[in-house]
Amino acid sequence: MEGVADLQTLIPPRTTSRRVQAAIEQGIKAFFGGNALVAIIVLALITIFLFREGFGFFGQNLTNLRLYRQAGLEYVDIIRDVSTQHEALSRKLSDIRLQEARAMEKRSVPVEEINATLAPFDQFASAFGDTAENLRTLVSDLTDQASALKESLYARAELAAQRAQLERSGALAAAEKIAVPAVDRATALATLHQGAATFESVSAEMTATLYTLLAQAPPLPDAAEQKTFDQWKTRTREYLAGLPKASENLRTWSAETPIPWYRSISSFLFGRDWVTASFWQDWYGIVPLLVGSILVSIVALFFAVPLGVASAIYVSEIASVHEKRFIKPYIEFISAIPSVVLGFFGIAVVGQFIRAASQSPWFKWISFFPISERLNIFTAGCLLALMAVPTIFTLAEDALRNVPRGFKEASYALGANRLQTIARVLVPASLSGIVSAILLGLGRVIGETMVVLLCAGNRIAIPDFSQGLGAIFQPVHTMTGIIAQEMGEVVRGSTHYRALFMVGLVLFTITLGINYLAQKLVARYRMSIG
Amino acid sequence: MIAVTSKSRRSRRIESAIFWVLRLATYFILACATYIFLDIGIKGGRTVFTTTPPFINVPFLTEPPQTLYVFDYEGKTLTLSDRQFREWKTTHADVEVNPSSVAYSAGGIWPCIVGTALLVIGSMALALLIGISSAIYLSEYSRNGRMIRLVRIAILNLAGVPSIVFGLFGFGLFVIFFGWNVSLIAGWFTLGLMVLPAIITASEESLRAVPQGLREGSLALGASKWQTIRKNVLPYAMPGILTSSILGIARVAGETAPIMFTAAYAMKDEMPWQVARWTDFFFQGVMALPYHIYVVSSKIPQNEYTERVQYGGAFVFLFLVMLIALTSIVLRERSRSRLSW
Repeated sequence: MEGVADLQTLIPPRTTSRRVQAAIEQGIKAFFGGNALVAIIVLALITIFLFREGFGFFGQNLTNLRLYRQAGLEYVDIIRDVSTQHEALSRKLSDIRLQEARAMEKRSVPVEEINATLAPFDQFASAFGDTAENLRTLVSDLTDQASALKESLYARAELAAQRAQLERSGALAAAEKIAVPAVDRATALATLHQGAATFESVSAEMTATLYTLLAQAPPLPDAAEQKTFDQWKTRTREYLAGLPKASENLRTWSAETPIPWYRSISSFLFGRDWVTASFWQDWYGIVPLLVGSILVSIVALFFAVPLGVASAIYVSEIASVHEKRFIKPYIEFISAIPSVVLGFFGIAVVGQFIRAASQSPWFKWISFFPISERLNIFTAGCLLALMAVPTIFTLAEDALRNVPRGFKEASYALGANRLQTIARVLVPASLSGIVSAILLGLGRVIGETMVVLLCAGNRIAIPDFSQGLGAIFQPVHTMTGIIAQEMGEVVRGSTHYRALFMVGLVLFTITLGINYLAQKLVARYRMSIG
Repeated sequence: MIAVTSKSRRSRRIESAIFWVLRLATYFILACATYIFLDIGIKGGRTVFTTTPPFINVPFLTEPPQTLYVFDYEGKTLTLSDRQFREWKTTHADVEVNPSSVAYSAGGIWPCIVGTALLVIGSMALALLIGISSAIYLSEYSRNGRMIRLVRIAILNLAGVPSIVFGLFGFGLFVIFFGWNVSLIAGWFTLGLMVLPAIITASEESLRAVPQGLREGSLALGASKWQTIRKNVLPYAMPGILTSSILGIARVAGETAPIMFTAAYAMKDEMPWQVARWTDFFFQGVMALPYHIYVVSSKIPQNEYTERVQYGGAFVFLFLVMLIALTSIVLRERSRSRLSW
């Protein structure tokens, strides 16, 4: 009868009531949930903030572009273009002179004789340079006029904005005090427009002089140089033939032609100039930066992909256990090298080394060697390759290891050797994993800042592809580099500030896309094997 | 028969040749990395270590950076730091010298070490609190709905966003919009948010790796949800969380781009604790080691005297970060062998 144990004794005595306990549980849950919410909100905020600051760019850039036309800067740039082309031709001439002198030197012609032979050519070159004298004067006169107009338009816009601000905030008396000056744009533009007539007479005169000059062009002793010179003559004739077109453009140009809204977007996405803080006109075109980023990434992946994949295959399939235990952590260890240290190493060692190597006689046969800049795409690419290798290695090795054992065993059972198994079975089976590893490596490279800021040379220009592969030995600027370099100096809310946010947004979108693609690939790959 | 063996011999030769190529590629990577370590280790070691006891260049580690003065005096070239130069002037008041100055190249890197430590501590405290809590919520409490899945994908993708974009965001929001200026607290938030996605993802992964049975067993015994998490989930997930946190530290310490315009000053005379009011502590910029390396390697003209501080700084920084990373790798290897189900 008393055999039934007292159940109560098995359960520990309650110290807190059930309700308090539940409240504590709820509180803990709320704490974690609250933190998660904060994390999510803040991370969402980042995205929203980037977009908010970035999209403001387009409106401001449109104003910037409209001012460019309304103040007649565009008009002056048509003439300036003609003048710049002339300068380029003039530079080409001195280039030809240099080449010719070098060629003669190689044949060990004494210096006096070289100078004597080339004297007619020098005369020709200087005569050619003189023909643009009037053009240059015209450009500089018009530049002064147009920038004065721009200045006054700009000042008026500023004052008007201040006044509107005051009116909105209710300080009408203060608003009255700000006098917005009238700018006589019509007169200023009319004066500017007289430039067309001057240009016509100047270009007619230049054309006549140049045709007679071209007819008397002196011959050059070397056939190769003569050929370049002939090419130059053809180009000059084309240039002269293009002058009436410029005249035509000047005549039809009008400050009142409206600029469509999409020009603001297209001038950002396809603009080939990134010019800031200029007295004349600021341009925010992402193309040179994008090209820089892409070229650096291509060079980096060119080295990192073979090395990373090869080492992944080696470690997962060929290496002995001892090697594996040592190599794997070591390569992963590389990813912990801070990027600024790598960048410093690039400046101190790699750049010097590459330049010294390019001067060595071994590489004489390469046309674009020796290189002049030690910091260039190639230097930055080599260092970034080292940063991408650990990412590619780790993920590719994972993918190779995750191939089910049965695949390998079946392959051996069919009589395949190790190489065949690796090349025909393991690599194809893990291909999507390897590709996603490469993509994530690319994501890392394209978003890297310090190495490119320190080692890519920071020259905002699209590399000159006419040299072929030599283009990768030229300095560039990159998207990450420009943000790091210019962000500290911009005025808050200015077009430049917002342009940098737009660059950040482009970077954000690119890396997000790459990441997403890589994850998609991995998900598919898991399914196909599972 | 003969044809077959010669063919198989040939294929074996090809095989071993290709294996050698792969082996060389692997060792080439290791050689490159080793070269970097050795170059910075040897040249930096000359700055950081000395040949006389105590064998460590204490002034380099405990003094602020100073300007170096180089001048000829009585046939010798003297290189004096700012402070030494002023002392020398008092004793040689009548001597007219024309020194050339090299910025940052004398003295040490003490304020930079302190600044980096402060940045790491603050941002990691922030990131770990929010990150681990969020991971616990996501893996233990949240229901696996579409919303949560979306959040998870978003967080995973944010982990790959370049650090400079976080820097840009931190600059726009904290420095300018909130008006915190270049300050410690702006750096904390920027860096903390930068590692947050990585910490959430890694912590959640190690929480999910704990078998469901452990939770169910505990709940079946009448334990509450929190008791289950505290006693039966967290202890087993801890090694993984710790590893990811330490990797986070290495990343936070190693990044330069996000602090360039949110927290770092190129030069500051006072130490961080020398502030008028305690609130100023949070709103002051600090010197940071990575930014200092950036400044000395690109912003000042290079000459024979700058190498000392460049390599010295790089050496200290590299090996600090390496030490942190090594800890995490060792920890992971050890926890991997201990826990397995």
